[in-house]
Amino acid sequence: MSEPSDNQRSQRREALLSWIQQFAPYGVITLDESFQVQSWNHWMQLHSGLTFEDVTGKSLFALFPDLQERRLTSPFARALQGESSVLSTALHRYLLPLRSPFRETGLVHMLQTARIAPLFSDGKVCGIVLVIEDVTQREKQAETLARQHRHDELLSWALAHLLKTEQPRKAVRQLFFKIAEQLDFDTFLIYLRHPKTGILSLDAAGGIPVELEKDFADCPFLRVLSQESEGVTIINSVQNRPEPELRALKQAGITAVVVIALVANERNLGLLCFATWTREFITEDESELVNNIAQFLATAIDREVTNNQLHDAKEQLSDHAHLLEERVKERTARLQETVSELETFSYTIAHDLKAPVRGMSGFCDVLLEDFSEVLPPEATAIVKRIARASKRMESLAHDLLEFSKVSRQEIVLAPVEIEPVIEELAALRPPAVRDAITIHTPLLRVRAQRDLLQQVFSNLVDNAVKFIRPGAAPRITVSTELVPQTSPNTRSRALIFSSTEFESGEVATSPEETNQNSVRIWIADQGIGIAPEVHQKIFGVFERGVSSEAYEGTGIGLAIVARAIQRMGGTCGVVSEVGKGSRFWLELQAA
Amino acid sequence: MELTGSQKDALTELINIGYARAAAALSDLTGHRISLQVPEVAVHQIGEIKQKLQSVIVGEVASVNQIFSGPISGNAILLLDREAAILLNRLLTDRPDMPELDGAAREVITEVGNILLNACLGAFGNLLKVQVTFTVPQLQIETVQRVLSSIKVGGSELEYALIIHTRFQMRSSNVSGYLVIILGVTSLETLMRELKKWEERELR
Repeated sequence: MSEPSDNQRSQRREALLSWIQQFAPYGVITLDESFQVQSWNHWMQLHSGLTFEDVTGKSLFALFPDLQERRLTSPFARALQGESSVLSTALHRYLLPLRSPFRETGLVHMLQTARIAPLFSDGKVCGIVLVIEDVTQREKQAETLARQHRHDELLSWALAHLLKTEQPRKAVRQLFFKIAEQLDFDTFLIYLRHPKTGILSLDAAGGIPVELEKDFADCPFLRVLSQESEGVTIINSVQNRPEPELRALKQAGITAVVVIALVANERNLGLLCFATWTREFITEDESELVNNIAQFLATAIDREVTNNQLHDAKEQLSDHAHLLEERVKERTARLQETVSELETFSYTIAHDLKAPVRGMSGFCDVLLEDFSEVLPPEATAIVKRIARASKRMESLAHDLLEFSKVSRQEIVLAPVEIEPVIEELAALRPPAVRDAITIHTPLLRVRAQRDLLQQVFSNLVDNAVKFIRPGAAPRITVSTELVPQTSPNTRSRALIFSSTEFESGEVATSPEETNQNSVRIWIADQGIGIAPEVHQKIFGVFERGVSSEAYEGTGIGLAIVARAIQRMGGTCGVVSEVGKGSRFWLELQAA
Repeated sequence: MELTGSQKDALTELINIGYARAAAALSDLTGHRISLQVPEVAVHQIGEIKQKLQSVIVGEVASVNQIFSGPISGNAILLLDREAAILLNRLLTDRPDMPELDGAAREVITEVGNILLNACLGAFGNLLKVQVTFTVPQLQIETVQRVLSSIKVGGSELEYALIIHTRFQMRSSNVSGYLVIILGVTSLETLMRELKKWEERELR
């Protein structure tokens, strides 16, 4: 390719200048050394409304006098010294007062970035070139972005505070002053609906003169909101509106207000209002942000209400439980007192009866031995009957005292071998009884109090010996078996005089021990047997399985057995049928 | 080429004259009192400045670059690290704090660089009684290495760099940057010679 000729170069330069003149998307102006306009491109004509003819040969400072007023002439003067300058939007807004391309921005002038540079000819400055760029749109976008950023920050700040606080209604005052300020509102009002009556009342307000606050107490402008109270209502130009309901707003100097329903979980909790004294209009854009804040507030208030209800319910429940507990304690204490009084009473009676009864018995003996010859036979029979009754009374008193002792004495459990216990008690009995007892060895060890266990066996053996068919010889077998630990519910309860119904604290057992296996001790006889309907009754005091006069007894023996086993943390019962003998069992912890 | 103590003093004084003009222009523009200080001036061979600058500026920098020509010619660059550029923009414009240097912020930095460079080079021109011409300033945001490697090292002449540590003081804040002026040895010698004459005139 050959070098372009001077002519070609000149033609290309011309073409470039022509393009700049016609199509460049910037304002391009050239000035001579006295700042008179030499060229003025199409963009400048379009945006200034001045044609080249209007401006040619005229000083730029005469065409735009505000350049001097705003002290913007120095970059031009310095350009003549060879300096280039950049004038930024942020520091100057604009260089030449051109019309704003976007009316809705509210800007009067187009925002500009300008460059001012010297033009050279033969190494000397011969003029100035001015390039103007329209940055209104860029700045508008940046501003929108910045506002969005501020609003996002405000929203997350408000959200964080409302989420964090336990009492959003208290926090509201502090929060909403800042929110209102940030959103360019002068006033806020928060109305909350009474949960029962549904009536709105002012809960918090800011930016209302104190003396006017009473005018806002019951939301005077509610009716103006008409059917729209579920959503967002904007009332613009308040001062020019005729509705009498707006009187309070007018008096407070409010010019526009936005009202949003506070709705959470489909419940309308109240209203949030933001108002301004300076702006005639509130835009839809603003209402969106305000709506978000209203949602946060509604959620927070709803949470507070729910929390309060939950808290109240819990407290009521706890009060009730406490009351019940108190009543149970009180009744248990009364019951224990009564039981204790009764036990003391029966002990006293039994104890005090012993001496007079023994006296009666003794004097009967004296009568029978020393005066038998002088007593008529009828009298002797009567005295014998008195003597028998006294003996019976004496043994009753004795047994009652035993029962009291079992109930009152302190219990200490220890491993007990059963065989020696039975052998000892057998040794004290007549040979016929001794021989009647068969032990199925080996017997398992149990945890018990030895003397108490001996008493239990004594009573059972004595019963077995006593309740036999006339003329029959007693036969008693003792055996043990291991009962794996089962829950009390799975046991057959019909025959059990169960200790589990009593306070286990009575017995000195540690928790590990309660998990151990039990030993069931069987004491079987071949006596007269017990009817099933009285199986449970016989373990009570003064209860007897037989009413026959043929069998003597106080009816306390089995009650002592039951109480003793219960106090040692065990259970007892009987398996029996009339005429087929009885099998008593005792269940105690294995040792 | 090492500067003697008195040469350094004279150069610092000359730059301060230029900076006074720039500070006045910036104060006028923003309505805040702005002062510009020169804690240090140094001259280095072009090969040394990369290492020198990398030790004081790290990460991305905003650089405003203007080429000047005439009896003295070279390249003048204002270097501000990213945080300094953001802070300077905020202090000058009262715009809300933006984490990025947006279009408007870049222009502000360009204009500040332009004012500073023009003032400084204008002071040189006045001293030499010559007209120095400038290109329109260009702003770049990139690493120090890239800024320095994009500087054209012109011709066969040995080149020097004047590094002027610059501190903006306004609204009880400080912003620090570096003004780097790259000159050929002839231009530097001319400058030093004129500087000496000026100093002698001043002393008389």
